[in-house]
Amino acid sequence: MSLQAPPWLAGLGYSELRRHELRKSRMMMVDGSLTQNVRVSEGGTSARVYRDGYWGFASTPATSAAAAEKVAHRAGQNAQAMSRFGARAAYSLPEGHYRGEHVFRGKSTLAQQEIVDRLAALHAWCQQRYHGLKSTRLVVGDEHHSKWLSTSHGGESLASIQRALCQVTFIAEGADGAPVELTETLSSKGHLADLDWSLESLAPRLDELHTHLMAKCQAVAAEGGLHTVVLAPPLAGMLAHEAMGHPCEADIVLGGAVTGGLLGQRVGSELVTMLDVAHTFEGAETMIPVYVDDEGTPARDAVLIRGGLLTEFMNSRETAARLGVTATGNARAYAPSDEPLVRMRNTVILPGTTALSDMIAGVDNGYLLMKTANGQADSTTEFMFGISLAYEIRDGRLGRAIRDTTLSGSAIKVLQSVDAVSDDMHWSCSGYCGKKQPMVVSMGGPALRARAHLGGQ
Amino acid sequence: MDDHTSLRDSAEQALAWMKSAGFDHAQAGVSQSAMTELNITLNEPSLMRSTELRKLSLVGLLDGRRAATELGALDEASVREAIAQLFMAARSAPQDAANAVSCGQQAQIERGPAEADAGLLADKVAELLQFRAQETPRMMIEEGTASHQRQDTHLLTTGGSELRCRRGWYEMTAFGSAHEGASTSSFNVAGGTSAELASRPAPDWFGIGDMLRDTSQQVDTRPLDRKFVGEVVLTPPAVEDLLGWLLGQLSDTALISGSSLYRERVGQIVAAPSLGLRSRFEVPGVAPFTADGFVPGSVELLRDGRLLTLLPSLYGSRRTGLPHVPVAEGGWEISPGERSRGDLVASVARGAVVGRLSMGMPAANGDFSGVIKNSFLVESGVVGTALSEVMISGNIARMLQDLRAVSRERIDTGATLLPWLQIGGLHFS
Repeated sequence: MSLQAPPWLAGLGYSELRRHELRKSRMMMVDGSLTQNVRVSEGGTSARVYRDGYWGFASTPATSAAAAEKVAHRAGQNAQAMSRFGARAAYSLPEGHYRGEHVFRGKSTLAQQEIVDRLAALHAWCQQRYHGLKSTRLVVGDEHHSKWLSTSHGGESLASIQRALCQVTFIAEGADGAPVELTETLSSKGHLADLDWSLESLAPRLDELHTHLMAKCQAVAAEGGLHTVVLAPPLAGMLAHEAMGHPCEADIVLGGAVTGGLLGQRVGSELVTMLDVAHTFEGAETMIPVYVDDEGTPARDAVLIRGGLLTEFMNSRETAARLGVTATGNARAYAPSDEPLVRMRNTVILPGTTALSDMIAGVDNGYLLMKTANGQADSTTEFMFGISLAYEIRDGRLGRAIRDTTLSGSAIKVLQSVDAVSDDMHWSCSGYCGKKQPMVVSMGGPALRARAHLGGQ
Repeated sequence: MDDHTSLRDSAEQALAWMKSAGFDHAQAGVSQSAMTELNITLNEPSLMRSTELRKLSLVGLLDGRRAATELGALDEASVREAIAQLFMAARSAPQDAANAVSCGQQAQIERGPAEADAGLLADKVAELLQFRAQETPRMMIEEGTASHQRQDTHLLTTGGSELRCRRGWYEMTAFGSAHEGASTSSFNVAGGTSAELASRPAPDWFGIGDMLRDTSQQVDTRPLDRKFVGEVVLTPPAVEDLLGWLLGQLSDTALISGSSLYRERVGQIVAAPSLGLRSRFEVPGVAPFTADGFVPGSVELLRDGRLLTLLPSLYGSRRTGLPHVPVAEGGWEISPGERSRGDLVASVARGAVVGRLSMGMPAANGDFSGVIKNSFLVESGVVGTALSEVMISGNIARMLQDLRAVSRERIDTGATLLPWLQIGGLHFS
């Protein structure tokens, strides 16, 4: 399939025409029963027009040439209709454009039967291997976006994003009789055939998960307050995304985020460098490669923090025009009926030089935070993560597991307190980022040692 | 042929193809929706958005094996291809005697305005922006919307169920933060759905005006200087977090996995006597029938703190042996109390009025800790400074029991009608 820019597109003024296919699958097996077995396929054509300082957007599930023309003119009419709010100066939008195709070519897809058989085998294996489980919940799924984009600036592109995930959740009974659960998540670019969720690969991770679960059954409450914490690599990725990533999205900056006045200033220790990577990291393609965004802008890395100094923000064409900078290719739309918003792509804190074991050994009294469930950001850079697995650190050694808790703090204060960064890294692309629309993103990072608040008594 | 006849024809055709493909039982639902949305960005009208969506949802059962699919293309080739794939998916699924489709459900529901009034939407945007400029100039509305949505659905099953619905509703949201010099508040949000928007000015809907006013007072904040155990007065948006956790505890995943704290507690007191919770599935914006093809009746969940029922779906019911209780995806109200929300705050010895809870998923046992956002310190019944970097921790199941008072005022967002709740025993840090 291709999307040739129709001759009438340029006549609409600044405009984009996007054909978007989205396919998702998800299966959930609870204690051997397949409680969810769903495939979703949607598609459509959308257009967005910028006219006299206002935007118009329209979408239709149809994909014919006639539907494209109709929806583009509707978008133009919508932009025109906004003039009822009064005349307004239009920004001169940056004019970069991209021509090219980027499609991930992975392994052949797995047959449905094979996926179900592997889930059943995994469930049976867990039941046989791990004592003390009250329930086992398995989730596998994948998601595939294909976007054909034409712009009035001459951009023509096909871009695809594919990701797959496998989640294993163990539930046991705690010492007080209440349920205790832990989840292990694997994710990768591609579909389920590209993700290594074989028993051989999962076994060591699930052995570890079970060990942690048993420890968590005896967990104690965290001591609430400010502590020295070692954030394991999966949490540093979350910190990059939630805590500093969102406040570095230019629309949030324009909305008054505190980062707006901090360009060039120190927002982290000199050990902290953070990027939103467009498509390539250390020579390899990222999990969510964005070569061209949904405005047709060629995507480039946004270096958000270099050596602790705040350096730039992530931009769409309009936010770039408002701020007088170049667009970074961060305008992304989730569904065929969604307009592009400023969104992250692959947000990462770069690794350092310290071994994780040395970072733990250097803590007299604190916590090792290993797993997070979710997180939330704020325009103040105050953030929150749910912590589902953590241990006390006493005199440089791991102690008791602690119950589910919450980590919070000002991202700037936390990053300024970082005194060690590990030499290893963890990437994941399993979750959704939420901001009017959902979005598939990846996040990565090393372990960090810092000061932050833990919820507790 | 009107749109709905076309939807029924599509559903009938899909069901016939599924039967001829060999499914023992099947469900086919076709929906068509249209939205008109005006957007505010950075305190200015920015975008008008019109979208059309179409979806065919199919569920097939084969020898007790189940699979489901959704697709946007309704042409014969696409649907037949989807059915062929669905058949393979069902054939490879494990047998489960709990799988079934709905039988004998009949309903024809028309609700709310079918057509968008774009002029009304523009008026609401203008009213909201005018209110912001005049009453809460510190506020930056980063994103705001006024929209109309219409959805037509026709659902059929081989069990003889036929559910038809045409519904329309309006929706408004406002999201933003307040600023003064270099200081900024936390972001805050309010919004909801209604059958109409004309009867009141925009800020008077869904607590939007209160949200803008409160957030404007939260630019200057301070953290707590020490830990303590105190009380909270949860505003309706924060009460939603408690409600969401409780509903999850009473629904399929928790019931089937055995992680529900309430599986064996129907008929018992699980909350304070002042707590009553019942459905309001008939409001605009709430789908009038369930995804598995049932028309939910009225449900009373808690009466005087006593748990009256669990909420398993048809599958959950057959899997667990519990009575099936169809529920919509939203539409709940907590009964009002007798005291004003001002009285609730005035009776707090030490604690906070909590606008929003920012927290991780509470543990299955109800343990949680979260940052209280858009919140004010309360000491000796007097509302003081706005707070930052303050966390509370506790247990939600325990909080339901430790409820001290319910306000008589409530905020109606369409999907919820919730009061302020005063709860003690929370750890502040």
